[in-house]
Amino acid sequence: MNTYNPITALVVFFALSILAYLLFRPNKGWFWLIRNNSGSNDKIVIEDVLKLLYHNENADKHLNINDIIRTLKYNDRLILEGINKMSDHKLISIQGDNVKLTKSGIDYALRIVRAHRLWEKFLAEKTGFKEAEWHERAERKEHELSKVETDILASKLGNPQFDPHGDPIPTNTGKIAKIKGTPVSELSVGTIGRIVHIKDKPEIIYKQILAENIHIGSLIRIVEKTPARIEFHSEGEAFILAPIMAGNITVSVLEKDVVYEEDLARLSILKENETAQIIGISKEIRGDSRRRLLDLGFVRGAEVKIDLMNPLGDPKAFLIKGTSIALRQNQASKILIKKD
Amino acid sequence: MDTKKIDNIISLSNDLRWQIGDEFHDNLAEGIYADAAEIVKDSVHKKDEKGAIRIDAKIDKIITSKVWGFPLMFLILALVLWMTIVGANYPSAMLSGLLLDTVHPALKGFAATMGMPWWLDGFLINGVYLAVAWVIAVMLPPMAIFFPLFTLLEDFGYLPRVAFNLDHLFKLSGAHGKQALTMSMGFGCNAAGIVATRIIDSPRERLIAIITNNFSLCNGRWPTQILIATIFVGALVPATYSGILSLAAVIGVAVLGMVFMFLVSWGLSKTVLKGEVSTFNLELPPYRPPRFWKTIYTSLIDRTLIVLWRAIVFAAPAGAVIWLISNIYFGDSSVAAWLIDSLDGFGFLLGLNGVILVAYIVAIPANEIVIPTILMLTVLVTGISGGAGAGVMFELDSVTATGDILRAGGWTLLTAVNLMLFSLLHNPCSTTIYTIYKETKSVKWTVVASILPVIIGFVVTFLVAQIWRLSA
Repeated sequence: MNTYNPITALVVFFALSILAYLLFRPNKGWFWLIRNNSGSNDKIVIEDVLKLLYHNENADKHLNINDIIRTLKYNDRLILEGINKMSDHKLISIQGDNVKLTKSGIDYALRIVRAHRLWEKFLAEKTGFKEAEWHERAERKEHELSKVETDILASKLGNPQFDPHGDPIPTNTGKIAKIKGTPVSELSVGTIGRIVHIKDKPEIIYKQILAENIHIGSLIRIVEKTPARIEFHSEGEAFILAPIMAGNITVSVLEKDVVYEEDLARLSILKENETAQIIGISKEIRGDSRRRLLDLGFVRGAEVKIDLMNPLGDPKAFLIKGTSIALRQNQASKILIKKD
Repeated sequence: MDTKKIDNIISLSNDLRWQIGDEFHDNLAEGIYADAAEIVKDSVHKKDEKGAIRIDAKIDKIITSKVWGFPLMFLILALVLWMTIVGANYPSAMLSGLLLDTVHPALKGFAATMGMPWWLDGFLINGVYLAVAWVIAVMLPPMAIFFPLFTLLEDFGYLPRVAFNLDHLFKLSGAHGKQALTMSMGFGCNAAGIVATRIIDSPRERLIAIITNNFSLCNGRWPTQILIATIFVGALVPATYSGILSLAAVIGVAVLGMVFMFLVSWGLSKTVLKGEVSTFNLELPPYRPPRFWKTIYTSLIDRTLIVLWRAIVFAAPAGAVIWLISNIYFGDSSVAAWLIDSLDGFGFLLGLNGVILVAYIVAIPANEIVIPTILMLTVLVTGISGGAGAGVMFELDSVTATGDILRAGGWTLLTAVNLMLFSLLHNPCSTTIYTIYKETKSVKWTVVASILPVIIGFVVTFLVAQIWRLSA
């Protein structure tokens, strides 16, 4: 106790806190970095090379060793070692400089793609992570799931065909559904369709699309098209996109007999003493939250009006099917209505 | 042949499923919901209940109004707490008179006539019996008042409106409005507050409510706060104002607890709980007259007795441990003295002392026995006169005498302030920890909920102590 001095104690304390912060801060903490790096072994490099080759071959592009080194963010030696090992295990065949997947290489790549897309589906349906985080998390998880775990995951999710971006999930026998649709940029004015796919690459454009609140499964109607921009209406809102963004959104065109509700509004704009009819719930709400709202009676055709305002403005209580249910503003804004 | 047919059927069904697509399930479910709603609309006719609805709406307009909503809420909470704390004094005094002052000496006398060896008599009567009797005397009356009052308010339909009014504040910290209720329930008992989190059906918000419930100052801690504030904080000002100042200090600690509750909720929802599913909705049931006797009965059975029973189960071994560490000797000092000595340095850093830390370790089962344990241990290590012997917890009727013992143990105003802070920010009692485990079924969240508050407590008391000493 002789050396005790409040200032020394405080200095030691703050030094320790800063150290703990550097070690354990989310994502960039040294502890996590070291742990992730020690995990970045051959397996992950090999699987990433396989995935890269698979996606490029699907697009009819063939890569050489230099392309692979340039595209992947590992150090060159690791990648070369990986490629050697892959060719030893007959996952790839190397002719001259060109690298091609063998049959067993394709099978392996499909397994990784399946794990990745299933995990994205899982994140979308069963967790509260934000849409922009799914891809990165699945990039890590795909290397950890074994074949058996992947199959269990698939059956728990009800063997889904498509991941939340609309990409097909390969089955355990390697079967892949086809995306049938047209990019929004190629549709003509007046077309009605359902969004079936949003490309998650390049990331910058994907994040912009997310920021616009455009979601898989929503109905859209094209209202204007010029070389510089495309305007469409969806779920009661107007969207204006540059052609490059519109090209990354695929839509399956619907037959003429589909009813497209034009003057939709959101429950959040309903005022006191107004009544409205519920048209549906935006596709943005999925999983448990969606089922919960359905359970409470927010279904097509139900009458709704405001029951109680809040002293702080949010949440508001809505009278639906004789019961007063409070919803927050951000939820009410996902429920589509038609005012009476 | 047969297996081949079956295989064909399976592969056909798989193909068909692929053709239908993922959307089909959702659309079918939503279609069924909508059809059911149509059928109900056509066939079910409701009586016109306009009269009843008007009264409900009138009450709602006042309770959720900008002017009256919040004052009314605080008034009711203050009233419930006041009735609990003041009202519990009388039955508590009666119970402790009976269990501690009458039955305890009687048991001692009985043991003496039986010729029971001193260690068995000490272990069973001074250790186990005393801890259990103490917990019952201090815990039962406030819970028996608080829970029925709370349940009546719930039954009447008022509490969901409170959650409705406050939801926006809780949303800012990533929590659910109903946490206002579980938090208030925590003022009665954290274990009961945690059981009450069942009303929150969103997994993420429920975990937040469970982990932060400990920041509500529970019944077991109110008396400690009031006693210490009266002795040390109240003494700072002339006698006429001392009551008000010590009351303000206690309320300040309780409000600080709410501040920590919001901060920790926010931190949790942004970090470790980011991936948990979050769904919000709140049903506002119609008002109805509470079923008085039924409510009293169920709240006594479901809440009070279950919590009390768990507390007794945990208090008995704690009493044994308290008696044992004071009576088992290594060399020439008792285990308790060794522990106190080795924790004194750390305690000093936190502006506390070894006695307080040891008392908090052995009194994990119930916050109610912290002060008696501190008094007993202080007498034990300082060797001043008073108390009832090694390992026998006691409390003094006179606040001044209690203060004299604590000051003899080296307590200053800093010790008192930090004890009040540490009493707010330390691990939940073992009953609560066990309840957290039962509710979450997860070792991980139980550990987080138990360790997190005590780490915060260490940091806060440490910082207060250093700044205090620097500015003194």
